[in-house]
Amino acid sequence: MNCHELLAVAGELVRDQLMDATQREKALEHAASCVKCSNHLSDERALTAAFQTMSRVADEQAPPRVEAAVLAAFREKHASLPSIAPQRQSRRWLYAVAAAAAVVIIAGMLAVFLTRNSDIKDKTASTESQDFKSSPLTPIPLVTPASPPEPEHVPSTVIKNEPRAGKRLKRVPQPSLATTVPDKPAEIATDFIPLMGGEFVEQMDGGQVMRVELPRSALMSFGLPMDMERATQRVKADVVVGNDGLARAIRFVR
Amino acid sequence: MTLKTTPSDLDLLRLMMAGGEEAFAELYRRRQGGVYRFALQMSGSPEIAEDVTQEVFIVLIRTAERYNPDRGSLSAYLYGIARNYVLRKLEQDRPYLPLTESADDGVTHPSMISDTDPLVELTRNESIKSLREAILALPAHYREVIVLCELHEMSYLEAADVVGCAVGTVRSRLHRGRALLIEKLRAARDRDHASQEVKPARCFA
Repeated sequence: MNCHELLAVAGELVRDQLMDATQREKALEHAASCVKCSNHLSDERALTAAFQTMSRVADEQAPPRVEAAVLAAFREKHASLPSIAPQRQSRRWLYAVAAAAAVVIIAGMLAVFLTRNSDIKDKTASTESQDFKSSPLTPIPLVTPASPPEPEHVPSTVIKNEPRAGKRLKRVPQPSLATTVPDKPAEIATDFIPLMGGEFVEQMDGGQVMRVELPRSALMSFGLPMDMERATQRVKADVVVGNDGLARAIRFVR
Repeated sequence: MTLKTTPSDLDLLRLMMAGGEEAFAELYRRRQGGVYRFALQMSGSPEIAEDVTQEVFIVLIRTAERYNPDRGSLSAYLYGIARNYVLRKLEQDRPYLPLTESADDGVTHPSMISDTDPLVELTRNESIKSLREAILALPAHYREVIVLCELHEMSYLEAADVVGCAVGTVRSRLHRGRALLIEKLRAARDRDHASQEVKPARCFA
């Protein structure tokens, strides 16, 4: 080993991080025969010892006022969650539903327009209205077909401790309007929660149920419990949309 | 008899994200010292270290969900945030702090010159100040690996996580940083010896 090679490994040698035993022996042999490298190793050892002393005596801590400040910030964030976050989430959710409803309306108008055009061409005006009545707004697959619900490992206590008994998770008998929802006997869902001032599904003269995915925090918007560890995941929901394109009710599904 | 186990950082983080103030307080008390000292050793300023420590934990409160345990320890994550804030602060204060001296200009910063023999006294507590000043005079990219690996006893891998570079880069920067420290401290020693040799003695004869 020459001086240049020793310089390259001197730091690791004095810090016992030179793993190659042969290299270590050669370095020490060279240092024993070279005054310059011996001095350099001494300097490296002194520096390492100084670092150790410095890290040993370093016990500086942040002043207590920093702890007070960050704890206040923590409290502020978590105190503001129930009052602000659900409002934001519910607004986001409403925007999503409104957008979906608008798409449904446009698609429905397009379908009607196309049907009428084809009927005019065929000059079968008499059957036009019958066809239209017999085929109410056909659900257009605007929403991705519902995939099988992922098994969620929600602790049973979460279901038991729900604050609102009316929205308790339960196995749902297939409602009459939910015919477009895939028939999954193992699916668990909440009751339908009305979205528009007491109007509910039975008072509608027609509509569809759309399967959507929402941020899990949307559960909190309806007073349902949410597993905070899974806050970033999404949750499936069925939205009842009337023929007028307005969302009437929602239920959460898993 | 029940065994009391210490919750891991990750356990505390999860509890904290669920709103557990005690868990957050415990996590803060566990990690604030390292973050504060890192910022202090990087900047040399207790004010900056205090600001950085506060910022780091406020960032953790606001964006805890961004932490990915697969990409490194929580400690390394906090050091990484601290590093970014320290570098930003140093950049802001650049006109006022002589910390950006080139590593290769061969000029010894005045703050590194000790009145005593630095290399001989490095192992003594009195010389810690000299070493601290010498570290502060290093360029930031050498300084940070010296502080992390030598003073916070991080492995090359952990330091690479914090700095956001390859392990080989950490290794080479550490080597170069140590060499610079020795070189500069040695220059200070030689200068000191020289000044002692030419010390005039008054003749009373």
